[in-house]
Formats: sequence, structure tokens, C-alpha cells
Amino acid sequence: MHEPIPWLILFLPLLAAVVITLFLQRDARLSAAVSVGAVLASFVLSVGLLVAFPYRTTPDDSFNWLQVGSLHIEFGLHLDNLSLLMLLIVTGVGSLIHVYSIAYMRGDPGFSRFFACLSLFMFSMLGIVLSNNFFQMFVFWELVGLSSYLLIGFWYERPAAADAAKKAFLTNRLGDFGFLTGIVLIWAMTGTLSFDGIKGQLMRDPEIFDTLATVMGLLIFCGAVGKSAQFPLHVWLPDAMEGPTPVSALIHAATMVAAGVYMLCRAFLISDVFFTVNALRVISWIGGITALLAALIALQQDDIKRILAYSTLSQLGYMVMAVGFGEPPAAMFHLTTHAFFKALLFLGAGAVIYAMHHEQDIWKMGALRKRIPLVYRTFMVGTLALCGLWPLSGFYSKDTILGAAWAHSPTLFAIGVLTAFLTTFYMFRLIFVAFFGKERSHVEGHPSKSRLIAYPLVILSVASVVGSVGIRQFATTQFAPATASQVPIFALFEPFKEAPMGAWLGLAAFALGLGSAYVCYFGQDTDPLPARLPAISRVLRHKFYFDEFYAEVIALFHDAPARFTNFCDKGIMLIVRLIHGTTEWTGRVLRLIQTGNLQTYTLLMAAGAALALYLMLTH
Amino acid sequence: MSPLTLIFLLPLAAALLMAVIPRNFVVAIRGLALMATLTSMLIALSVFCRFNGHASTPGFQFEEQHDWAPVAGFSYHVGADGLNLGLILMGAVVLFSAVCVSWRINTRVKEYYVLLLLMGGGILGAFASLDLFFFYIMHELALVPAFIMIGVWGHGKDKNYAAYQITIYLSVGALLVLAGLLAIYLQMPAPSRTFDIVKLTSYFKENPMQFGAEQWIFPLLLIGFGILVSLFPFHTWAPLGYGSAPTGAAMVHAGLLKKFGLYGLLRIALPLMPEEGRRWGFIIAALGLGNVVWCGAVAMRQRNLNLLIGNSSVAHVGFAFVGIASMSLIGFTGAVVVMVAHGFLAALTFALSGYLRDELKTLDMDDMGGLLRQLPFIGTVMIMAMMAGCGLPGFAGFFGESMVFFGSWNHSEVVTMLAIWGALIIAGVYMLRAIRSIWHGDKQWPGVCDVSGFWRKLPYGLLLGGLIVFGCFPRLLTDNIAASLASVARLTAESPVGGTFARKERPRPAAADSLPGHAIASDASVLKGLNR
Repeated sequence: MHEPIPWLILFLPLLAAVVITLFLQRDARLSAAVSVGAVLASFVLSVGLLVAFPYRTTPDDSFNWLQVGSLHIEFGLHLDNLSLLMLLIVTGVGSLIHVYSIAYMRGDPGFSRFFACLSLFMFSMLGIVLSNNFFQMFVFWELVGLSSYLLIGFWYERPAAADAAKKAFLTNRLGDFGFLTGIVLIWAMTGTLSFDGIKGQLMRDPEIFDTLATVMGLLIFCGAVGKSAQFPLHVWLPDAMEGPTPVSALIHAATMVAAGVYMLCRAFLISDVFFTVNALRVISWIGGITALLAALIALQQDDIKRILAYSTLSQLGYMVMAVGFGEPPAAMFHLTTHAFFKALLFLGAGAVIYAMHHEQDIWKMGALRKRIPLVYRTFMVGTLALCGLWPLSGFYSKDTILGAAWAHSPTLFAIGVLTAFLTTFYMFRLIFVAFFGKERSHVEGHPSKSRLIAYPLVILSVASVVGSVGIRQFATTQFAPATASQVPIFALFEPFKEAPMGAWLGLAAFALGLGSAYVCYFGQDTDPLPARLPAISRVLRHKFYFDEFYAEVIALFHDAPARFTNFCDKGIMLIVRLIHGTTEWTGRVLRLIQTGNLQTYTLLMAAGAALALYLMLTH
Repeated sequence: MSPLTLIFLLPLAAALLMAVIPRNFVVAIRGLALMATLTSMLIALSVFCRFNGHASTPGFQFEEQHDWAPVAGFSYHVGADGLNLGLILMGAVVLFSAVCVSWRINTRVKEYYVLLLLMGGGILGAFASLDLFFFYIMHELALVPAFIMIGVWGHGKDKNYAAYQITIYLSVGALLVLAGLLAIYLQMPAPSRTFDIVKLTSYFKENPMQFGAEQWIFPLLLIGFGILVSLFPFHTWAPLGYGSAPTGAAMVHAGLLKKFGLYGLLRIALPLMPEEGRRWGFIIAALGLGNVVWCGAVAMRQRNLNLLIGNSSVAHVGFAFVGIASMSLIGFTGAVVVMVAHGFLAALTFALSGYLRDELKTLDMDDMGGLLRQLPFIGTVMIMAMMAGCGLPGFAGFFGESMVFFGSWNHSEVVTMLAIWGALIIAGVYMLRAIRSIWHGDKQWPGVCDVSGFWRKLPYGLLLGGLIVFGCFPRLLTDNIAASLASVARLTAESPVGGTFARKERPRPAAADSLPGHAIASDASVLKGLNR
């Protein structure tokens, strides 16, 4: 049975992208309409799916994409609760950001191209969400990387943007290398690539991967490390902020970077033995390290978007950590709330940048509270949700993760709480510097009155506040109603009862962070930290020197061998050239004795006769 | 008459006819070349569409055979199966596109088109031939024009040397192939000697070649064909040769002629000598990896766009070798898809770089930058082509390379991982660096203009379209290829000699059949496991 709705959801954005690229390059208004229309339609259809198929996992709807020998690749759509939730997030947040972009990008010469790329991104992202096998997921994984590349480098005349796009794509490729290797390995071991097929094989024989089980899990995890920008491949995400702000909100905060987490949850749904204990330990530690590292770097950033980018990294670290604890529901929960409040924060930052005439340094802002009150209020809501203030959505999701950490590893729990403290600290540093204090620049900014910018902010701040309630109800009443009584999937929603440690310590970290930020930054005109702690500040401002280190590594392992091989090739060509040259030279010399000139011949003959005579006479 | 005959005869006949047209009738010459190749392309397309993929017995279709010199065993024999069907279509499209983009040639126009058509028609004939004699002669016919074209219409200070170098290499390669083919012919008992590939294949299937003969015929063919495909370490002729050649010649040479060696391996060497193929598997894989990794690394160093594209095209054929080395059906099929995709891609990139050279008078990437604003069409197409070059899904190369990876994993994980590294990382690095330095940036280019008009855009669109269509619907190619190559794969898999490269097959469980019970086990129960 072919169910048309999921196919429509997937292909409408592609259709929009193709139509805009081919026919609407010169018509800005119409291309925006087509793109926004496609994503809105996808959103409406997704809601329709939610209403129509609330309780059951629909069977995969697929066709045969490739069949050669024992290699069988399908193109199919897998619709279950996990993909439905992700579908709603992607199309819902996506719709709001599309609408916002109309106002934000107005007047840009590449307006149509922007919407074509956004639609291409929506298609690729929905493809990841709906895939029913690893190969198809990898295909869309790469396409998402492409659209991210195109959008980061949207203003390609700026060298910084062009470099950032290249860096993002190549760093992602490193992760994809592991991912694809893992996929090939899975196929070699199980003979199938579809999620259901692997599930069946693992049920039949949980030991099917034998000694390679951990390796396989970690290779698949590599994909998530690249896409979700986990340590040590986190370096691309902050640079990706060179793209237009709506892109940062949609791709580099709410959806694409969460794809890695989604993929890990999807792998978990295949089977809970998909990742071995050791693999899970690595995953949770990578998540924990990323969370802490990024929060530390965020302390000393001055660019408003970069602060948010490091915050995104840090929150993604939380999600990955949750997966490592074997708690994908917690990860998905945080993914959802994070999508709301981080998209809100980025759109707010976009409104600030718009009002400040593309100034992004927070130390050149100030007193924005009065100039753009609506943005201030919504930004504050987003910040509080991010910092995990009760009863905003971020509190619940973060608490779920902290509770899981408490149950699994005291060290990671400590890292989680410390990160929560740092999060509050750097976010309120941003708020105090940019929105309070006195006005530092006298640019005659134009606070945006556009409703297209205001509505998405308001809607997202409402979602950030009540997001948890919605998701909780969604989860308990609709996700698994038949088993709700036995399996309290989201049982950790009563935080103070279920995980008092996480809840209270999380709130304490919030209070402490707010207090220290107030002491350090309220009313300050310059950052006091570099003067007080110069060494630490320098390291943080240089982001722990990762970029410099990687540049050296690349020079050592790629550029040096490339120089060597190029040298050898030149050498081979030289040798061939010598052979060619010698032959030609010999020919030229030999030609001299065959000139057809009688006098030359006579001369040579006489010389030869003289030589012969001389030799005969002397012996 | 078989449509296959028409496909390659039309360009050849047009070349002959052109020879009698006065040289200042430029429009007539161009028109004739366009018409002949367009018709040939349309026929190739119709052959591709009419090919019956569900025939009860996999075999040749559109066959045509005439005895020519029965005493010696020559005959005129053409036919198409999955292996050459896609190549012929690709070839006809590339030839038409090459003629289309040659509108800027205005010195010795007549000679240029005659040579270009000889080259294209000859190689198409070689692909269609099922007789070793014609197979070889047609290829030789295609080889000669390259020398003249590089020498007369070429670019760059090294063009004369490039012309000599390409000729030396290819002549040596062709000579080795000739020796190998003759040796095969002589392996048949005297009364029944034949050059017919079909008869040869069935004969040697029944009576495997003697080990002593096989042992030296196979390496002759491998090295001979290898030189023609620029197999590492015989690759250095290619980048410089393509870099110096006029656009049309580079397109036909890189896109089409280069496939001849790979095609020969799959059509002749492996079916006739499967055991040797298996024995040499490791060497083939190692040399193929040499292409992928070594030439990829060389490409990273190039600052001249044409040399970069040339090296990257050399690197890409390495995937086909790795696929062939796996001696598995999946690897073979992947190799053929790589060949088809590579043909479209190499032709497309050389067409685009030729346009850039004509507009900018330079191909030094250090001097470029910011061109996308001025050349939106060429730029977009080239960025897409370069993305296809680093294995992006949606373009045909991706499926070919993926099948190569899947096919070769069971032979050697290390080879596969290095090949994946070459496809995803090395290719990514040089392609993205090239995009960055050519198209991105803030340089201004007054006076440079983009290609405009449907007809001028058509060749680029056709080549890109080929990449995208086969990239989205790979079964158009793979179903037929797999059906045709299944027998070869069976031979190489069954051959009793385990090569040095062959490993113990891992027991693989039967593919998961429908598991209704498991599918219904909803996610909730899995989550229950998680919450334990």
C-alpha cells in the first residue's frame, strides 16, 4: 500500500527547490512564496499524519533502488513515533524560520537562491528523518552536508564565509568516512541495510557482529560526531556562523546538527544491543567532553552568534551524553526543547544584528532592552529556558539528562552540573552586556517592526515555555499508549520526585551562574577576565588551539605526501621526456650523415679510407 | 542494419563526407558534424530505451554479423549487452557535446571536425564490436587523431611534448594489447581459430586456457589495457595530455577513449582468464588504490585547473580498478557504473574548463576567484560537477563508488577503507579547494560573459543530466550490467585458484526475509529494554 502523505512531505520541498532554481531565479516574491508554501504544506501534512496515525507504526513504504547480487538497497519511508516527532520539529521550526527569512533576507541579491537552498535543505533533512535504511540515510546525510555548505557559503564573496563553508563540509566528510565504513561493515556482517532487517538479524543472533560490535558502533557514531559537531570534530560549527542568521537558527542550531543525535536514537530503536557497553561509554564521554569544552570556550567569545554556537555545541554534548547512557528518550526530549529555545535565541540574535546594522560584537551593543523590547523579552525567555529555570521546558529536559547521568556516572554528572553553571554564566554575560548597561554605539539602528520577524519570535518563546508540557503529553498519551501503563518512558518528568539530585543541583547551578555573571559583568564596559586571568582567557579565546593544531596535522598528513607524490610524478615525466629527447637528438645527429650531399659523402668516405689506411699501416 | 552500426558509422561517414566539402564552407561543416552526432546520439538513446532488460537469456541484442575473412576468422560483428549499452549511450552523448562546444574553433575547422569525428566514431565502433579485430582496429583509428589535435589545436607551452608523450604511452599500451590478443587467438586450435568474442568466450569457458599461456597473456593485457586507462604508475601521460588538448579532444579522450582499457579487461581478459584475474586481484587492487590515493594527492597540489581535473579523472578510474579487483558481481557492476559516470563527468569538467580558458585566457587558479557572480550558469554547473567528483549522492559516480566499496569489503577491508578515504576526503579536499579559489571570493571580472542561449547551454545540460539521471535511478544501468556480468562474476568466483588476495569468505546469514513478527514489535518494547 502506498501512503502518499509521507512522500508528499518529503518531495514537496524538493519540488520547490527545483522550480525556484530552474524558473524563478529572477522573481524574489514568487520564489519565497513557493518555498514557504512547500514547507508549510509539509508541516500541515505532518500534523495530519499525527492525527491520522497517532498510535501505530506504519509499515515501511519502499521501492527497490538498487539490486545487484546480494546487495539490496531500498528507497523507503519509515514512519514511527520517533520520525513523526522529528518530522514535526523540522517542519514546524522550519516553517517559522522560513517566514522569518522573508523579512531578514529582503533585498539580498541572492534572495531566490537562498530559498532554493533552504528548500533543498528541508528535503534532505526530511529524507534523513524518514529513511528506512542506513544507505538512504547516508545519501540524505551527504545532501544535508551539501545544503549546509551552500548556505554557509551563501555570501561567497566574503572570504570568511567561503572558508567556513569549505571547512564545514570537509570536517563533516571526516565523520562521514567513519559512517560509510560502518555502513559497509554492517552490510558485510548482516547482509542487509534496512533498519527492520538489521533488527531481525540482531534478534536472531545478538552476537552477529562478534568482535567487531564495538568497532561497528563507534564507526556509526563517527557520523554523528561529524554532523552533530562533537569533540574532536566540533571546529566547524562556530565558523558556520558566517552564514545568514536564519540558516544558523535552522540548520546549525535546531535541526541539522541534531541529525546526529536522531541517528543515534534511530540506531537504538533498531536494537538495544546495537551499541555495546564500551561503545556507549565512549559516546557518553565524548558528549560530556564536548559539553564542558564548548561551555568553557563560550565564556570568552564576544560575537553574539559565536556564543550561541558554542552553546549549541554544549547542548548537543548533553544529548549525545544522554544517548551514551542508553536514554535516547531523554536525548530526543532535549533535542525538541533545544530546537525551540535555540531557534528562538538565534532568531533573536538575528533581530539584534539587524537592528545594529550587522554589528555582532556584544561589547559594541548595550541597553538594547529599551531599543528593542520585544526582542529583549523573547530573548530572555529563550535564555532562561536554555539555562534550565523551572518551570520552563529546558529545565525538564536537562533534568532528565542529569538524572540519567546521576544513575550512570558520578563524574559525568559533575561535568553536567558544571556545564549547567557555565551555561548560565555565559548566557547572562551576553544578556548583561548586550541588553543592559549603557548604549555603546550610536548607530541609528532600525528596530524591526516587521511582523514576519515578531511572530516567529513570539511563537517560539511560547513553545520554549510550554514545550515540555506539550512533549510530555505527546509522549505519554500518544507515543506508546498501549504500554504507557507498564513502561513509563518519560517517567523522569516528575523531576523533583524522580531525580531530586539533578533537579536541585541544576537549579543551584543556575542560581550560582546568574549570581556570578551579575557580579562580573553587570554594568561593565570591558571584559574583566583577560586582565584578571590572562593565561586562561588567552587559551579560551583561542578555543584551546584546536584550529592551529588541525592545520598542522593536515599539513603533515595531506599536504606533505601530496608534495612528495607531485614531485615523483614530475620525475617520471622528466624521465619519459629524456627518453623522448634522446631519441630525437640521436635522430638529428644521424640525419647529418644522410644529407644526400655528394660532397659530404665523398668527404666521409675519404676520411674513412684514411682512418682504415692509418690503422692498417700502424699494425 | 543494426542501429549499433549506425551509431558509429554516422560520425565516420560524416568525417569522410566532410573531407570533400571545400574548407571555407564552415557552416556546412559544423552543421554536418552536429547533425551526424545528434542523430547518432538519438539512435543510441533509442537503443538504450529499447534494450530488453528482461530477456529470458542474457545475451547480446541488436546483433549484426557478416562474414568478412572466414579463413582467418575475421567477421563484422556488433552487439550490445548491459556492459557496453551504457557506455555507448554515454559515448554518443559525449561526442555530440564535444561537437557542440567546439564552436570556438576557427583555425583549420575542417580538419578539426574530421579528426574529432574519426576519434569519436572509432571508439564507439570499438565499444560496439564483438570481434577482436574490429575492436582493436577501431580503437587504433581513434588513437591517432589525438596526436594531431594536441599538436595543432593544443594549448600551453608543453603541448608538443604532451602530444609525443601521449602517443608514446598509448602506442606501447596498444602494442602490448595487440600481442595479448594475438596470443589469445593462437591459443585456439588451428582449424577453429576466430576473433569472435562470443565464440572465444564460450570456447574458453569449456576449455580453460593452459596455465602456462594464461600466466603471461593476462599480464600483457593487464598492463597494456592499464596503460590505456592511465593505471598507476603509467598515469603521467594523462593529466598533461588532457591539459594541453583542445576542449573537444580532451572530452572525447578522457570521457571515452579511457574507458576502452577497462572495457577490454571486463569484456576480454576476465571472461577468458578468470583464474588469472583472481590471482592478479591483489595487484589490480593495489594499482587501483595507487590511482585513487596517489593521483588524488597529486591533484591536491595542482594550481592549474586542467591539470587538477586531469589528475582527478585519473584518480577516479582507480575506483573501477578496485571494483574489478574484487572479482565480485557487485564490484564489477560498480566498476561499470563508475566508467559511465566518469565519462559524463570528465567530459563535463573539460568542457567547462575549456570555456573558462577561452574566456579568461588562463587556467591558473591563483589568478581566479569570485567568478560565480559573473558566470552563474557555468559556475553552478561546474560546482555541481565538482561535487559529483567528490562522490556526492544524486550523481551517478556515487552509486558506482558505493558498489565498489560494498563489493571489495569482503576481499580486503584495508583496500576498501583507503578507497573510501580517497573518495570522501582526498577528492573532497581538492574539489572544494578548487571551488573556493575559482568561484568564491570577491574578485571582480568585468568583460567576462556567461554562456547564453539554449543551444550553447545544451551540451552542459546533457552531460549533467546524464550524471543526475543515472545518479537518481541507478537501476537503469545496474540491472542490465548485473545481468550481463553475472556469468563473468561466476567464473571469477568459482575459479579454483585462491589468489593471494582472496580471503576466507565470512559466513553470512541469509538476508533478512520478511519478519512480520519483528516488525510489529513496536518501538515501545525496545524502549522498555532501554529503561531496564
